[in-house]
Amino acid sequence: MSRLGAAPIDDPLLRVEGLSVSFDTAMGRVRAAQDVCLDLLKGETLAIVGETGCGKSVVANSILQLIPGNASVQGRVIFSGRDLLSLSEREMAEIRGREIAIVFQNPSLALNPIIKAEEQIAEPLQIHSHLPRSLSIQMAKDMLRRLGLGVGGVAESFPFQLSGGMNQRVMIAAAMILSPRIIIADEPSKGLDRLLARQVAEELSGLRDKMDASLLLITHDLLLARDISDRISVMYSGEVVETGESQAVFDHPLHPYTKALLDCLPQRGFHPIPGASPSMIDPPGGCKFYPRCRYKHDKCMQRPDMTEKRCPNEGMDREVRCWLY
Amino acid sequence: MLAILKAENIGMTYESGLIIKKRHSIFQGISLEIEEGHTLGLIGPSGAGKTTLGMILAGLERPSSGCVLYRGEDIWKLKGINYLAYRRGVQMVFQDPEGSLNPRKSIERSIHEVLRYINIPQREWKDKARQALEMVGLSEELLCRYPGQISGGQSQRAALSRVLLLNPKVIILDEPTSALDISVQAQILVLLKDLQKNLGLAYLLISHQPEVIDFMAHNKAVLESGGIRHESILPQGGGARPDPL
Amino acid sequence: MSEINPGLDTDAIAMAIHEGEESKCKKDGEGRTALARFIKKTSWAAKASGLGLALFSSFLAMAALSSLLAPYDPWIRFEPYLWPGEEHLLGTNDLGQDILSELIYGSRVSLIVGFGAALMATIIGTAVGLFSGYFKGTVDEILMGLTDIFLMIPQIPLIIVLAAFLRPSFWMVALLMGSLWWTSTARVVRSKALQVSEMGYVRAKRALGFSSLHIMLSDVLPNICHVVMPKFLLSIASAMIAEASISFLGLGDPATKSWGMMINFAFSRGGFINGYWWWYLAPGLCITLFVMSVVLVGHFLEEKEISTLRLE
Repeated sequence: MSRLGAAPIDDPLLRVEGLSVSFDTAMGRVRAAQDVCLDLLKGETLAIVGETGCGKSVVANSILQLIPGNASVQGRVIFSGRDLLSLSEREMAEIRGREIAIVFQNPSLALNPIIKAEEQIAEPLQIHSHLPRSLSIQMAKDMLRRLGLGVGGVAESFPFQLSGGMNQRVMIAAAMILSPRIIIADEPSKGLDRLLARQVAEELSGLRDKMDASLLLITHDLLLARDISDRISVMYSGEVVETGESQAVFDHPLHPYTKALLDCLPQRGFHPIPGASPSMIDPPGGCKFYPRCRYKHDKCMQRPDMTEKRCPNEGMDREVRCWLY
Repeated sequence: MLAILKAENIGMTYESGLIIKKRHSIFQGISLEIEEGHTLGLIGPSGAGKTTLGMILAGLERPSSGCVLYRGEDIWKLKGINYLAYRRGVQMVFQDPEGSLNPRKSIERSIHEVLRYINIPQREWKDKARQALEMVGLSEELLCRYPGQISGGQSQRAALSRVLLLNPKVIILDEPTSALDISVQAQILVLLKDLQKNLGLAYLLISHQPEVIDFMAHNKAVLESGGIRHESILPQGGGARPDPL
Repeated sequence: MSEINPGLDTDAIAMAIHEGEESKCKKDGEGRTALARFIKKTSWAAKASGLGLALFSSFLAMAALSSLLAPYDPWIRFEPYLWPGEEHLLGTNDLGQDILSELIYGSRVSLIVGFGAALMATIIGTAVGLFSGYFKGTVDEILMGLTDIFLMIPQIPLIIVLAAFLRPSFWMVALLMGSLWWTSTARVVRSKALQVSEMGYVRAKRALGFSSLHIMLSDVLPNICHVVMPKFLLSIASAMIAEASISFLGLGDPATKSWGMMINFAFSRGGFINGYWWWYLAPGLCITLFVMSVVLVGHFLEEKEISTLRLE
């Protein structure tokens, strides 16, 4: 699926083209993602937001080929001139951790509870950069200090001795130790209380600035996404429905789903969206949001393409998948 | 306004240790009132004991000191019919939506259990189950599903439908929407508000989100540092809602 | 409005992983007959479980249909010391009784003792563990104290001593074993019951006002079944071996023919020394095969349980 019209601002660091992922299960064929197109520019933070089950985690994991083998994946993911989806496992292993790092959702599950924190952070250095152990441990301690965990013997502790928030930061340290160019953060704030979630997010941002990396943030927390990301992509039921500058999308949402989702926020009065999300096994043809949309008309039975809309008072163009535009 | 559920000087202390017991006090001297048909919001930092307080009011835990009064009577002294009235009159909905339903039982079975418990004849079960789900906005297609096959919001609503079958007067809601997406959260909160209006329910709403409390509650209490502090919100109660975009 | 969103991000991946692993086993299934193809297709684990089930059921059939299967009445005497031949497939013992018939009828006794002891042990153990784990507190302390006392009792020596003093009968043996072996089941059930009792749905049921007994039977018990079943099956195996050992030591009931008694007679009547292998080989093999089948079935049930839990 190609874009219309204007040339991209910068050559994107990562380009996802027409990514479609489906799983064959006992209940039928699950279309987790359909024709997803994203661009991640150098030095920016792009947030992919959506409700649970909209497919955003599947997209993030697909980029690094981390989904199970019986998923069928179509499309391309272009990074440094290569299509990541066509690389072998060995080639992917080179990229994972070193060039593109991923920080997972649940820190207590992602960290080995019986290996010290500093060792787990130092491990990528030993394996990828072949650094000697003492040097890598030193660098691990440095990284922890930068994340605010330099004191209290955190480095020498085991993950089960640390709190959830600390473990989250240990995971971030492990992800960033090799100075990757892209960091993918999959729901980094899940399970953390608001204060901690904000801290973690700000640290991610801060580190990203210092290392001049790009951050792909997957979250369902709209406010968090708005605060720390430059651009935002809204997903619904496996499709990207709107992409644009974060603050602009918040202040002037174009897609009816984005509008409805923002209305659910406490600040906007908790107005619920009527109806329920469509099944991913037997998706309705046409626009996915059609049954619940306020502005629907007959044309919506056909699936709309992504169109660009020029917004003169905003920094960049908006993309919307809706017949209204 | 009639106070249907009251806490008087509740204190909770945990003991640990085998021979030399260490005492750890969570809170002391907590008093609060839940008025009929109104919502009392309970907010406070995590670890302050909000869930424990909720469970004490629901009669699921015994306080170390103080008493809980339902319609003026100490709940731990109730017997027979009066105890049954309390047990049905005060219900609790928990945070983890999937946790409230037995994963091995279909939704239908989980609802039938409650129907049997309240002595509804078996021939009426099918209708009653459908009605129960309708009241919380779920379709009867969900009856044959298992908790693992439905979303968090639907599980939470199914658990709520079971509670409503008992015709409670007070429902203690422990962070009912924290584990849910914001769109589902909005749906559940609006549903709870409608139910309050239609059925005259009183709520004790425990939440760490001030906006949720402001939206739902008529009165507010803050639990921190082992004590409680009462605040009031807007005089007309229920919070004002900005219009949709 | 009525569509269902299964919350699929993680569920889909979980299901897909499970099915991906299963499909690996079904790669190529060439074989002439349907059975051959089926056997080739299934994994080793499935084959083993199938074998276990087949063996287990054939032993059960042997015990139930003894009178139909056995060629002769085991008490009738023919010519003694006969080698295995056409008329007597496993020969005859020193009293002239047909060994094959003895074997088939003997399965009854061995299985009854095995099942009886295991059933009793499991029921007592489950009840103790369930109450202990659900109520916790004082009840738990008392019950676990009781369990510890019973654990201290040396089981086989006690059985031997009691068997030496009382009139030996296989019912007594079964009873004794059942009343001593419930302890390990109790411990295992208790820890699982503790875990399940903390689950949200138990808490929710308590809030709804259900009685403790109802909750224990309706919610906790079904969730600990998969822990109890393998233990039950393994208890059958242990009981059978214990019974065989006791009979072999001569403390069993001489009037009944269990497999253990057969081995005992084989030993005491000179079967081992004289090399009459058909006296002891058959019952020995039967015990071994039965125990093996029980273990395989237990393993199969555990695997099934694990795979269902993974999907949840």
